[in-house]
Amino acid sequence: MTVAIVGAGITGLACAAELAPGERVEVFDRIPVAGGVHGWRAPETVALHRAVLRAGVAMRLGATAVRWDGEALLAVGPGGVQRLPAAALVVATGARPLTRAELGIAGGRPAGVVPAPVACHLAENGLLVGRRPCVVGGGDWAARACHELLAAGAEAVTLLAPDGPSRPLPGGVRVVEGVTPAAVEGGPRVTALLAGDERIACDAVVLAHGLAPLRNVDGAVWEGPGVVYAGSLADPATVAGAREAGARAAAEVRGLLGTEAAA
Amino acid sequence: MPPDDGHGRRDYDVVVVGGGVVGCAIAWRLSFTTARVALVEAAHDVGEGASKGNTGIATSGADCAPGTLEADLVTRSSPRWEELCASLDTPWRRIGTLAVAMSAQEERGLQHLREQAVRNGCRSELLSGSEARALEPLVSPRALAAVHIPDDGIVDSLRLVIGYAELAARNGVDVLTGAPVTGFDRDGGRIAGVRTARGRLAARFVVNAAGIEAGRISALAGGDEFEMWPRQGQYLLLDRELGGRFAKIVGGVPTELTRGIYCVPTTNGSLLLGPTAVDSSYPGEKAVDSDTLDAVFAAAQRLVPAVRRDQAIKLFAANRPASDPVYRVGPDSRVGNLVHAAGIRSTGVSSSPATADLVHSLLADAGAPVEAEDASAQTALAPLPRLLGHPDPERLLHLDPRYGQVVCACEQVTAAEIAAACAMRVPPRSLDALRKRTRAAGGRCQGTVCLAGVSFLLSLHMGMQPWEIPVGEPEATLGVAS
Ligand SMILES: Cc1cc2nc3c(=O)[nH]c(=O)nc-3n(C[C@H](O)[C@H](O)[C@H](O)COP(=O)(O)OP(=O)(O)OC[C@H]3O[C@@H](n4cnc5c(N)ncnc54)[C@H](O)[C@@H]3O)c2cc1C
Repeated sequence: MTVAIVGAGITGLACAAELAPGERVEVFDRIPVAGGVHGWRAPETVALHRAVLRAGVAMRLGATAVRWDGEALLAVGPGGVQRLPAAALVVATGARPLTRAELGIAGGRPAGVVPAPVACHLAENGLLVGRRPCVVGGGDWAARACHELLAAGAEAVTLLAPDGPSRPLPGGVRVVEGVTPAAVEGGPRVTALLAGDERIACDAVVLAHGLAPLRNVDGAVWEGPGVVYAGSLADPATVAGAREAGARAAAEVRGLLGTEAAA
Repeated sequence: MPPDDGHGRRDYDVVVVGGGVVGCAIAWRLSFTTARVALVEAAHDVGEGASKGNTGIATSGADCAPGTLEADLVTRSSPRWEELCASLDTPWRRIGTLAVAMSAQEERGLQHLREQAVRNGCRSELLSGSEARALEPLVSPRALAAVHIPDDGIVDSLRLVIGYAELAARNGVDVLTGAPVTGFDRDGGRIAGVRTARGRLAARFVVNAAGIEAGRISALAGGDEFEMWPRQGQYLLLDRELGGRFAKIVGGVPTELTRGIYCVPTTNGSLLLGPTAVDSSYPGEKAVDSDTLDAVFAAAQRLVPAVRRDQAIKLFAANRPASDPVYRVGPDSRVGNLVHAAGIRSTGVSSSPATADLVHSLLADAGAPVEAEDASAQTALAPLPRLLGHPDPERLLHLDPRYGQVVCACEQVTAAEIAAACAMRVPPRSLDALRKRTRAAGGRCQGTVCLAGVSFLLSLHMGMQPWEIPVGEPEATLGVAS
């Protein structure tokens, strides 16, 4: 039977590796390379990628999965449209920090309130979202944002860590702990983040707190017929954790299909 | 744009002040005539005021006070939505409203709503709680009764405003954004010219559609004195995955003071909870606060228990342009060539086509050259295909291979759609303006994944550095110079 896997990160690849001996597996990713957040050149990515190819998995890289109707997956990419009839869909599309609405941050809508992945992506290209940013969060994304912002030339970074920082931080980051972000102030650009009794003056708020599954395949955003979610929201994320999540999902798929693991 | 006359002036038959839904609808109506028209808008885009943050209900008029201009204009507009939205490439669906009573007192309110609907000539039916649930299974099992108003619809009001403005622009209306009106040149009892931050426009007639600023515009023109104030509404916007399951608009029972809190599925599938209605004195205040949002959520959950707070993808607020009386649509009593289209507080979307017709005839009565229809005017915008939900994606990629490049994964917005938006006559000049046209970065992850990519694309189209790209107004840039 055919299994469609969306997401060619470690989780999706590990799931494909488990299923490939018995099922026909196709892996989709919107990015033209495998590895997801772990990176396409990482040794674990390269080894897993090779293994799944050897096992006969079809890799559909550069194709964005957009719709699941319970029986087939629709994906589009620069190469064209693909429709894959499948008995199960594995959603292994990773995780993202919580949005402003999910964090319940009130106030107006000034510029400068930016998700951490965006701030990091821009910083990698030499673009700074603020000179005195306040990063909200304590885990992986928060630590990474602090690094990237300082490297891109931020003058002062404050970290607002509701649960305290869990990762090593670069020197010079001012840490405020134990309060949750409540509201932003300012306009047209943000001037402060309010949290508890603190009023943190800043010209950007970088949202790096918490993790939510990043799910964007219509018809499979929540549970749906034939849909299996593969992912871990552990912070820090580890390759081992991702592999385990992939293997768990593979077992779930087999349960759904009523098939046995191939020896 | 007519050439300037050498003194930094351009000549127009009609200058419309304000590019909200009202001003844009008027410009659209006038664009079918041979009159030379300009629309001047203070903000960087059309539809940035009240028209940006409304509920998007095109009401059939059941809840309007009978005998008022508002009821008249709303009921006249209602039968036109199918044709209008098709011509403006604007998503629209006539899905109907269930006004649900959860208590005996609210049940009495339903009677009033029914009588009002009858007096306004709107279709409506009184239902039991279980009949209501048969129409919309998401309604609370504790609902006692409901009134079904089948002709109410939902409209993408952002796209409606842009559609009006875009078709007007294609028919020769000069749409000047980033051009706040700062004063008027007077000649006796009439306006001779409009001063804006982008130059002076000679004007034979002026329409005041400045929303919350309409009182100030009238004062600047030496016209009637009236006061405008903001009536704020706050919302939670919930995910498409729930909103897509709604068959009906679900609302409470309207009272004298407010239409109440609604659960409104939007045309793009998301679900709006709100709005509140609180008079305030800060026109620029668009902040949300958690107490109000808690109350909105509780009111919505009472009607539809399936809503979940963790499905919220956006929290926002907007201000209705309130005044007393509402619907101040008519000629100024002092300035002979000024027509007001102001105080359109709570139903400006729903009444927009008929309001535009009324202002057109008021201008004609006042002697404006707006009676000759322009035979060459286009009557419709060619629809721009979108990948989201498209039945034949293969054909799209054949049309333009950039349909294969999904930029915003949550809303499935492609590079082709972004390019088409940027090629409009009223193009996006900010990330927000691009979102209004395409929904890019407007989905459940709110740009967490795609905003950097979207800004790079927009910066290419705008010929700017990505950090310079405004989120909204020009000074609200995404980044800072490093
Ligand atoms: C919370 C809320 C919910 C609503 N729900 C609905 C609904 O479901 N259905 C419905 O039909 N209606 C609804 N409405 C009402 C509707 O949004 C308004 O009636 C309508 O948007 C008013 O349009 P407008 O063009 O008069 O005002 P606006 O949209 O505010 O436009 C006025 C424009 O004038 C511009 N302007 C101001 N000063 C100047 C100047 N000096 N020079 C140039 N330009 C200037 C402003 O920038 C603005 O763009 C709702 C409104 C709110 C706030």
